[in-house]
Amino acid sequence: MKLLRRLRYWLRARQNQADLAEEMEFHREMLGDARAMGNATLAHEDARAVWIGPWIESVMQDLRYALRSLRNQPGFALIAILALGCAIGLNTSLFTVFNAIAIRPWPVHDPSRMVNVFALDDHHRPSGFSLAEVRYLASHSRTFSGMLAQRGRETVHVENGKGACSWVTGSYFGVLGVGMQQGRGFLPEEDNPDSPLAVAVVSDLFWQTRLGSDPRAVGRQIRIEDVPFTIVGVTGANFTGTTPDPIDIYVPMSAGQILQPHAACMKEFLLSPNQCCSNLAGRLQPGISRKQGEAELAVLHEQFQTQLREEAHGIRLTGTEFIATGKKDKIYPIFALMGVGVLLVLLLACANVGNLLLARAAARRREISVRVSLGASRSRLVRQLLTESLMIAIAAGALGVVSAFFLPTAVFRYALNDVLSFRFTPDTTVLAYALVLSAATCVLFGLAPALNSTKPTASGARSKLRSTLLSAQVALSVILMVAASLLARGIQNARAQDPGFRIAGVSVATFELPASSYDAVRTRAFFTQLTQELKDQPLGLSRQAPLGSGSNWTSFRRTGETEKQRKMVLIQEVSTGYFGVLNIPVRAGRNFEAADADQKTILVNETFANRYFNTSSETLGKTIVTDAPHQIVGVVKDAYTRGLDEIAPTVYVQISANSVPLALFPTSPSETGKLEATLKRLEPRARLRVSPLSDNLEKWLQSSRAGASIAAVLGGFALVLAVIGMFGVFAFWVEQRTPEIGVRMALGARPIQVIRLVLSASSRAVLIGLVIGFGGAVAASRLLVSFLFGVSPLDPLAYTETALFLAAAGFVATYVPARRATKIDPMTALRCE
Amino acid sequence: MGTDKSSELLPGTLDLLVLKTLARGRMHGYGIAQHLKNISEDVLQVGESSLYPALQRLLLNGYVEAEWGTSENNRRARYYTLTADGRKQLSAERKEFDRMVLAIQKVLA
Repeated sequence: MKLLRRLRYWLRARQNQADLAEEMEFHREMLGDARAMGNATLAHEDARAVWIGPWIESVMQDLRYALRSLRNQPGFALIAILALGCAIGLNTSLFTVFNAIAIRPWPVHDPSRMVNVFALDDHHRPSGFSLAEVRYLASHSRTFSGMLAQRGRETVHVENGKGACSWVTGSYFGVLGVGMQQGRGFLPEEDNPDSPLAVAVVSDLFWQTRLGSDPRAVGRQIRIEDVPFTIVGVTGANFTGTTPDPIDIYVPMSAGQILQPHAACMKEFLLSPNQCCSNLAGRLQPGISRKQGEAELAVLHEQFQTQLREEAHGIRLTGTEFIATGKKDKIYPIFALMGVGVLLVLLLACANVGNLLLARAAARRREISVRVSLGASRSRLVRQLLTESLMIAIAAGALGVVSAFFLPTAVFRYALNDVLSFRFTPDTTVLAYALVLSAATCVLFGLAPALNSTKPTASGARSKLRSTLLSAQVALSVILMVAASLLARGIQNARAQDPGFRIAGVSVATFELPASSYDAVRTRAFFTQLTQELKDQPLGLSRQAPLGSGSNWTSFRRTGETEKQRKMVLIQEVSTGYFGVLNIPVRAGRNFEAADADQKTILVNETFANRYFNTSSETLGKTIVTDAPHQIVGVVKDAYTRGLDEIAPTVYVQISANSVPLALFPTSPSETGKLEATLKRLEPRARLRVSPLSDNLEKWLQSSRAGASIAAVLGGFALVLAVIGMFGVFAFWVEQRTPEIGVRMALGARPIQVIRLVLSASSRAVLIGLVIGFGGAVAASRLLVSFLFGVSPLDPLAYTETALFLAAAGFVATYVPARRATKIDPMTALRCE
Repeated sequence: MGTDKSSELLPGTLDLLVLKTLARGRMHGYGIAQHLKNISEDVLQVGESSLYPALQRLLLNGYVEAEWGTSENNRRARYYTLTADGRKQLSAERKEFDRMVLAIQKVLA
């Protein structure tokens, strides 16, 4: 009640003070004698002071005092704020990324009601819907106010360059509630399979970079795959799309018939209920829970599938956060690992600053004891010291938040060379996180020293806390440095490792055929002719480039096994020349021949042979069943074509060039020239792009290299902190023992003995820290195994490296204080007493 | 100047006196001071440096309420009224004060 009245008073402080002034003025006039009143201002102040809570006053006092004492030691304040600021910055940045991809939903109107909808397959894996079912669900659902579907992202030729194109239903923009800066989103009638329209919506970025921010973009025509499309809208700048990769152009699903008029499967994709798979999302009606929506859709899905005589396995609704859509397993471990890393850094920084505070408190012992003897209570002193810590923490937190504005985007752009559609800008969630983190750090690094240094006696306990903190610092930096060193060695190893196929001297060619005039039959004919013309040249066709993105998996069973015993296997479509160009030897059996084009015969790799048929020779002639039976006619050597981390059991089928494949050939100007000449002769409109295969290796290594450089930054930071920490401890020890050292020197101690004395003082703590640190590193390194590319988590080199680095750091940290100790003049030291 | 007289009162007594004065009816600050002065035959001369802090304290504790009104000579003046809490507080403080006075008298007797 009292607090409330106080609050109300301060909310109307100006009015209340005016009231007070006026009534005192009235009082004075009634008295008629101003002198009789005494000091009016003082009286006014006294009356006003009643409303100031006693605690507010003392808090202000604490703040003023803390500011003053930090200003007196700017060096300490700077180091503490920098160390903690960097640590909080790392944590906040990581959380910003996590927030953007795991917590923040799509950037659309009222995102809380948007959900992703998945049909579960017979293995309870989420999958998409046919467009026919999408229409069925959208028209029958009562719990959803609207539904939309999207088909991924494909690179298309647009105007004079490439662009990322996504196919969406006519409802897409309306249901999402995307604000348009020009024009409008699609209308439902613009997505009619019977009367497709060549209309497009372009993104803000595309509009700026490719259309020159044309203020009259609406109505303008752009050529997509050489087909003219009319722009009907430009999305608002704050709509970054509903896929992780940015989209430049949106076209209605039905417009696929215009883009690929000859593709027979297009009509089927648009109409057939058996076609898969478009991603479905919906907007729930107000007041409808996800459970209710899920239940209704499950019923509708079952109805639809029953009509098809198919089995329905249920529906799952998830939020629209990126990670919620099924990539949890892959992304969470990486985040967890990095999270542990940055948390360790934060702990290290806390231990460091805590130790500095302790040293400072010891130097302020006189001040503290004066305050105690003047009657300050211990809790008041602790509060005082904590206020200082709080100010450091708040400054560090602010620094951290500022860095979180730049760091994530910078890391993705420069280290990963990747542009994602996520916006890595801190929002209120991130700010709250930083605030909580700062408060927690304040308690972590401030409380123990504050409690400790206000203890009435016992300097022994104080040095115990200091040694504990020193040990903790050493241990934490060892763990971080070993991890960084291991990751760096892993990258080295991956580079040096034999990938099992030729990378250097191989080129990758990607073709572009005018899609509007090439259907499956014509495409196949084209590539049959192309390979025929080039049959004297080494040339391999493949669906995916080695170390490229994407991979196809299929399930198979051995003959004699039941459907339940199916296993997943990687499937690669390649031509006969593929193995020759990549220098992958056939270990048993034979390579593909022209007669294998029916895909009834397959090749497998050694991993497959060994895992499922014991030996290569046993494998030959065996039959496995995927969608149809295939006979194994050859076994090829294992090659890390999918990634350098592991070899998956792989099945090779001969490529059927129904859609455009890519080609691999030995790098040489004449080969490239021949390929280009032949291509142009067969189809003048075709385009060719050639790049070295080693680009793929670099790209593939990039993410792990970025991981290693992040680890290196953490490790380096840890090292710097360890040096600062050790330096602080030793320097302080020397300062405290100045008289003792002086006496020893006066009694004839030699410098080397003094240095030994300095070192022995804290070496126990350092040793304990090393032991704990290396133990912790051994345990922690097991978590890193999947990022190490064959380097053992106990790699002796990584541990030796760490030990050497730390020894050097320890030398630097102790050298200066130890030297200072030997320079102590006995007489000055004695006078100090 | 007489403004220091209040400090010679027993601690908390001024609050009691103000409450008691207001128990007779609403009154502005000057009126309270005058009333105390008159009724004590000029012994209790309360200055504004103790009166107004005391009034603010009573406001803070919710024992009195203040509102603007018109004084006897048609001036704007701030009138204080005793609240229910204030009445309770008055009787409590009154009892406490009596007990104190009695104790002091016993000592002096």
